Amino acid sequence: MSTHRTKMRAISVIAGIGIVAMLATGCSRGDSGGGSGSTDEAAAPSPGITDTTITLGITTPLSGPTAGPGTCTVAGITAYFGAKNADGGVKFGDGKTRTVEIKALDDAYDPQKAAANYDQLKDSVFAMTSGLGTPTNRAWREAAIADEVPQVLIQTGDPIFSDPKQSPWQLGFVPTYINEGQAFGDLLASSSGQHKVAILSQNDDYGKGYVEGFKAAIEGKDNIEIVKELTYEATDTSVDGQLTELAASGADVFFNAMSITPLVISSLQKTQELGWLPSWFLPSNTSSPTAILEPGGAAAFPGVYTVSFAKSAASPAFAADPDMVEFLANLKEYGDYPDVPGFPHCSWSYMIGATLEQVFAKMTEPTRADFMEQLRTISGFEAPLMLPGTAVDTTKEGQPAVSSVVVQKYNGKGYANADTFG
Amino acid sequence: MPGTAAVMQKPWVRWVITGVVVVLLVVLPLILPEFANTTIARIGVFAVAVLGLNVVMGYTGQVSLGQIFFVGLGAYVTAYGVSQGWNILLVFVLACLIPAVVGLIVALAAARLGGLAIAMVTIALPLVGVPLAKRLSDFTGGSQGMSARFSSAPEWTGLYDDQWQLYIVLLVGGISFLLTRNLVRGKYGRAFAIVKGNEAVAGSMGISPYRYKVLAFTIASLLGGVSGFLYMVVVQYTSPETLNFGHSITLLASMVIGGAGSIIGSLLGGAYYVLVPQLTNLIDPGLTAVLQGAILLAVLFVLPGGLVSLPRLWRRKSVPSHPSTTSEEKRQDQ
Repeated sequence: MSTHRTKMRAISVIAGIGIVAMLATGCSRGDSGGGSGSTDEAAAPSPGITDTTITLGITTPLSGPTAGPGTCTVAGITAYFGAKNADGGVKFGDGKTRTVEIKALDDAYDPQKAAANYDQLKDSVFAMTSGLGTPTNRAWREAAIADEVPQVLIQTGDPIFSDPKQSPWQLGFVPTYINEGQAFGDLLASSSGQHKVAILSQNDDYGKGYVEGFKAAIEGKDNIEIVKELTYEATDTSVDGQLTELAASGADVFFNAMSITPLVISSLQKTQELGWLPSWFLPSNTSSPTAILEPGGAAAFPGVYTVSFAKSAASPAFAADPDMVEFLANLKEYGDYPDVPGFPHCSWSYMIGATLEQVFAKMTEPTRADFMEQLRTISGFEAPLMLPGTAVDTTKEGQPAVSSVVVQKYNGKGYANADTFG
Repeated sequence: MPGTAAVMQKPWVRWVITGVVVVLLVVLPLILPEFANTTIARIGVFAVAVLGLNVVMGYTGQVSLGQIFFVGLGAYVTAYGVSQGWNILLVFVLACLIPAVVGLIVALAAARLGGLAIAMVTIALPLVGVPLAKRLSDFTGGSQGMSARFSSAPEWTGLYDDQWQLYIVLLVGGISFLLTRNLVRGKYGRAFAIVKGNEAVAGSMGISPYRYKVLAFTIASLLGGVSGFLYMVVVQYTSPETLNFGHSITLLASMVIGGAGSIIGSLLGGAYYVLVPQLTNLIDPGLTAVLQGAILLAVLFVLPGGLVSLPRLWRRKSVPSHPSTTSEEKRQDQ
């Protein structure tokens, strides 16, 4: 009896380890593993692609505080390819028509989990795409390079992903923070009047990117003067002190590179209390008319500017736009997203689908290498939902797929394009 | 069942079991697929972190909510050391020592407070850690984080990277578990147990609760640092997100689910930390948070003593036994 128990114990240990191995869904060693992916036969298909299907992988936050935008990063592309699959599939450059399957996993914005998801997906998907987040994409950037797995059209403004020297198997999709700051700087510099600018920025790479782009655009322009520049910490709960100091500078333009929604609202209110009414610049992710500008009472200011490249789903101006109607219908039918999205990431993800279709149409070999080559040849492509004046251009070295943005001005309800400042 | 205990006491039985486990650990990385290897390596990483938490909470009874801070600190020290090109052994020693020293300093102050005040102080660690990691961008790479790929398999081994990394985790993690097991079973373990049970009794026996709390906290921080080093071996990237307070709570839940005050329980806790998110992803990626909560509740309802109490539950069902036997076996399992 006793020895039997001992044996049982030993067996249970072995069984336990076996269960672990089985849970970790098996993928055979064989050709891949450890990065020794060099093959003799150049045109042999890469993993995740057959004559009839291609599989794309996504790791993105589907739970936790960033689940809202994260869910959108999957819904948009699933909706786009869902509609294409229903029509028979996507035509590839090698003459074959394939249906596109999406495998999405939740990383809860945890870099460790994102890396685990990548490990899980890399042998069964053709390319990784659309995932949201800087740390969660950085966590496996080098692994993707070593394994030669495409990590493309991802939703982060981190410029490292768009530098082909550092990131040969990567490409960002959305404009960098620098692109956004620069676009506003260009508009301001092109205006005829004299302007004094006060700058408040978050003390991290986010705020620094905006300020860097803005300063680059106004460099050497005599009509623009930066009169005061302050920072705050992302953990601050109030910036009243900074606002009071900036108000005293007498600036007529306020460049506020702030990523925290409640802080933006309270800043809008505080400046009114102080009787300081400048024109504002706000980043694209903290300029929502309904969530931020209305509660902040932004109509009191002579102008609130932001930048964008996508038609806003919530804006009445685009409610009847054919792109928008089709997008919302697809999102509902194929993307499992019945509401009008409150995050732009749904539209961006949809555009990523459209951009990938362009790349697929140029691919003559079913390989990751050919995919990367063709990926960098798209230019002047106006994806659905893009604002006039913006386009996908992957040929600009050091820039993400979308580096052109248009400056928009708040009109009390939504945004309209602003060609000139004032 | 004194019979089981008696057989388990016999040296040859222990040697055979140990031998089988060691052989398995050496052979398995060579035959398992890559993803299984990296998954087991991740389990090892977080098992060491849970083990540290167990020393301070499970064995000594002091609430610590800051374990992830020490994991992150160890990871950052490793990343920085590697980026500076320091010898990897030196980096490892620093990744253990620096968190241990920080833990010691925090504990010297916090252990005086006693009770829930220690928990409050430890909450502050990850909360301070995240903005600090963002601010000290010269050392930490700011919010973009730091990569350190130093754990590729050397040429002479002929191993794949994942196999090499798993061997490092098994070696370092195995030594950590062995040393901790010896610690909690010896003189110090008994002292921890008395401090946990009743501080006044501990004091009357000449055991200073303060000193042992500080010691337990320091060891937990050191193990956190070891876990951080292994984190860099396997994940090869750290950012302020690594220090997220939420992970500290997940570690705590893992410890309770694995089994508080148990060495095997720490291992099971590490497995829970890594496998449950993967499992819930397989079921429905859109519902991971809900499913994880459901699993947590289900395990705690069925097994209040954690997963480690599962065999005991079986035995109790098959053979009726009185409480004293169960408690004796509990000690055996530890």
